[in-house]
Amino acid sequence: MGAPVHNLESRLKQSSVKVSANAKRHGRHLLSNSIFRYYFLFSILALCFVLGMVILFIGKTAMLMFGQVSLADFFFSFNWSPEEDAFGAAAFIVNTLSLTALTMVIAVPVSVGMAVLIAEIAPNWLKTFIRPVLDLLVGIPSIVYGYLGLTVLLPFLRDVSGQGLGDGILAAALVLSLMVLPTICRISDDAIVAVPRKYRDAAYALGSTRLQVIMRVVLPAAGRGIISAVILGMTRAVGETMAVVMVIGNTAQLAKTLFTPSSVLTSNIVMQISNVEFDSTWNYALHMMAFLLLVISFVLILIIRILGRKRRDAA
Amino acid sequence: MTSFTRTRHTARAQRRDKLATYGFYTLGGLILLLIFWLLISIMSKGLPSLSLDFLIKQPEEMDVGGGIGPVLFNSFYILFISLIISVPIGLGAGIYMAEYAPDNKFTGGLRICVEALSSVPSIVFGMLGLAIFAEYFGIGLTILGGGVSLALLNLPMLARVTEEAVRAVPGDIREAGYALGMTKYHVIRTVVLPVALRSIVTGICLVAGRAFGESAVIILTAGLSTSGEMWDFNLFSPGETLAVHLWYVQSEAIVEDARQIADRSAAVLVIVVLLINLAFRFPLWLNNRRQGR
Amino acid sequence: MKVFKKFTVTALTAVLAVTTAFAGIASAASNLSGKITVNGSTALLPLTLQAAKEFQKLHPKVKIAASGKGSVTGPQAVKKGIADIGACDWDASIDVPGFKAFDGQVANKVAVIPFATIVNKNVGVDNLTTDQLKGIFSGKITNWKEVGGSDADIVVITRAFGSGTRVNYQAKALAGGDIVKKEKNYKETGSSGDMKTAVATTPNAIGYIDLVYVSGDVKAVKFNGVEATTDNVINGSYKIWAYGYFMTKGQPTGATKEFIDYVQSKKFQQGSLKKLKFIPIASMK
Repeated sequence: MGAPVHNLESRLKQSSVKVSANAKRHGRHLLSNSIFRYYFLFSILALCFVLGMVILFIGKTAMLMFGQVSLADFFFSFNWSPEEDAFGAAAFIVNTLSLTALTMVIAVPVSVGMAVLIAEIAPNWLKTFIRPVLDLLVGIPSIVYGYLGLTVLLPFLRDVSGQGLGDGILAAALVLSLMVLPTICRISDDAIVAVPRKYRDAAYALGSTRLQVIMRVVLPAAGRGIISAVILGMTRAVGETMAVVMVIGNTAQLAKTLFTPSSVLTSNIVMQISNVEFDSTWNYALHMMAFLLLVISFVLILIIRILGRKRRDAA
Repeated sequence: MTSFTRTRHTARAQRRDKLATYGFYTLGGLILLLIFWLLISIMSKGLPSLSLDFLIKQPEEMDVGGGIGPVLFNSFYILFISLIISVPIGLGAGIYMAEYAPDNKFTGGLRICVEALSSVPSIVFGMLGLAIFAEYFGIGLTILGGGVSLALLNLPMLARVTEEAVRAVPGDIREAGYALGMTKYHVIRTVVLPVALRSIVTGICLVAGRAFGESAVIILTAGLSTSGEMWDFNLFSPGETLAVHLWYVQSEAIVEDARQIADRSAAVLVIVVLLINLAFRFPLWLNNRRQGR
Repeated sequence: MKVFKKFTVTALTAVLAVTTAFAGIASAASNLSGKITVNGSTALLPLTLQAAKEFQKLHPKVKIAASGKGSVTGPQAVKKGIADIGACDWDASIDVPGFKAFDGQVANKVAVIPFATIVNKNVGVDNLTTDQLKGIFSGKITNWKEVGGSDADIVVITRAFGSGTRVNYQAKALAGGDIVKKEKNYKETGSSGDMKTAVATTPNAIGYIDLVYVSGDVKAVKFNGVEATTDNVINGSYKIWAYGYFMTKGQPTGATKEFIDYVQSKKFQQGSLKKLKFIPIASMK
């Protein structure tokens, strides 16, 4: 962290010497200041445009569903048999929530623990070794995760549980946990490293052990970053498809047990969207599910944020 | 330590501290074992049979011994296009959210929307890209369409990571800059960004890795075929990428050595992602080194 | 918006013109030019890609872009005008169960695709009749011993609704019978590769797949006593097969017509198509 400040000092020295002589340069700074202000504004507008476009694109088709399927059916019926005009998405909604919860329960402690290990505990050589290894995990395409899930994880789960198939939300949650691990871990890691050193020094000076420093000083201070890491990991888990469809079973029913072959919103969208006609109720319902996915993750993020704020206020 | 009297309280705290340290190491060890098992099981099948020939040859539909030449090239090309578009806009939007945007409900809502956007399955972005490029502009399945759609997919994540990185920069260094009469942009460029750079690079690495392995978007927007030429820079050629090719050989290809091609392609993908990471991190590392960190 | 669109289209075509001008210099062996987009069935994709490769060698100025995501995508893309050829595993110009006819489209037969019932290698059953298959897939028969195997639960693996393989298998092997989802031991897969891997790695599993993909790690069972081979399809004793179609908007013209003609030509049908283990359309009489 010393480097940029050092940088700053040297630059400041230079500028203080020349400041009176260089009104032109000051003008240039003002100009670049306003140019980039507009550039940043343009960027955020572009982002909003993309956001709006996606919502409009999904929403436009989704809204067509309302004329043909009643809302109560869509949200509260567990019967999804589009070939018989039954469009009940309740099972998918519940499964999506339980799969996400299960994934987070497995992934968050492990990933944040791993981040603490890398950022606070491990010696330097180990850090420089683990970080790129974790980044590698991101680059493994999801179908490779899916294939390994299909050929290694499922037979293993079958042996352990005595089930005939092994597909279900447990298998999906395990695969997803591994997939979101690097996202959560690396972003938390950066958040922890960014906690100013003086906080730690102060705590150590008061005689705290390392565990106390981590739990009571570093993690709360990095809380904001860790929460956004968790959120990014969660949204990735909610939106991941290619690997999930290979191990979840893709059966439109409520996941009553960990090993019931079932389906979540994303996997159902992916399995069916390329097999339906454009202007059919079925297609509208699938777009509605994509829209619902946006709403669900919006709500989940809101909840995480509020929980995070409460905890920080309490701490 | 010995000169202090150890109270029961501190003794317990120290015991816990030790226990936790072991705990963290065990966790780390297990995860690393898992990761290595994963990498080894991917590499051991693909790497031994990997040859330069495989990397530059054309894919084959019915004869054994097809390669991945144009597909690999398209992967880089599309990744490049998507990063060229998404990195400047993503960084700009992230900086705006962290530095300029008023801290009100609207900004908060926008932030959550941006985050929620990354939970939209990538196939929906693919369909969006299809609607824009194939339907609206009528240019069909192209490298350009694939690259832009991929950029749309990555934009939200990039913007959020940048925002967090910029926010994590301690306020006091920033204020030191203002106190000296620097303009806002000047402070961002010379003070904030250098400090936040490391996290931003992590973000770009994550995004690039994901883009490289993405298949659903490309299948819909850039297609499953190549133009058949090795160095085809034409933005309007169909652009099957390596991840898509992997999906194809694993799902539908008929050639007898499809399994081996899939294994090798997976190994190549992992190696390339490693290289991309190194390419992004090496300058950073060098810079740290030079400044005696 | 209109102006914007017009502007972008002009800009894009300008870029396109420049780039194709460069590409055009390369060769002038044939005067045929144009761009053909093929979309639709993934099962026909290997055939399309191979044909595209050979066709582009003959006519270097023709660009062929191919993609696939599901049978019905083919005729739909043609209807929307985003593809010239829609590959489909059934004749989309007439009604089939679950899908309405696409008006104004012409179905061009390009190949014969045989399908096979496959089981995991641990299953002791070698032959299944139409009724037994109907029972298994409709959930009435749940144990292998009911069809002459050992005492073990049957794991049914199927393709998603709308998959061309499923449509044809249901029509030909199950005589229109239902595939019913079950509480457990039932799974849907997204592609032929997934299907094969799932059946190969799941004990007591049964599924169905294009005959092309059948290899040593799964076992193909006889259908009503007839083995699933290309010869049996041609001599008419094995019934689970279907034509693969290239759907076009009206009669094909220009480069699209030439391409379809090439795929239907004797040279391609008896050569590459046979090598890809499809059956030439001329063999079925």
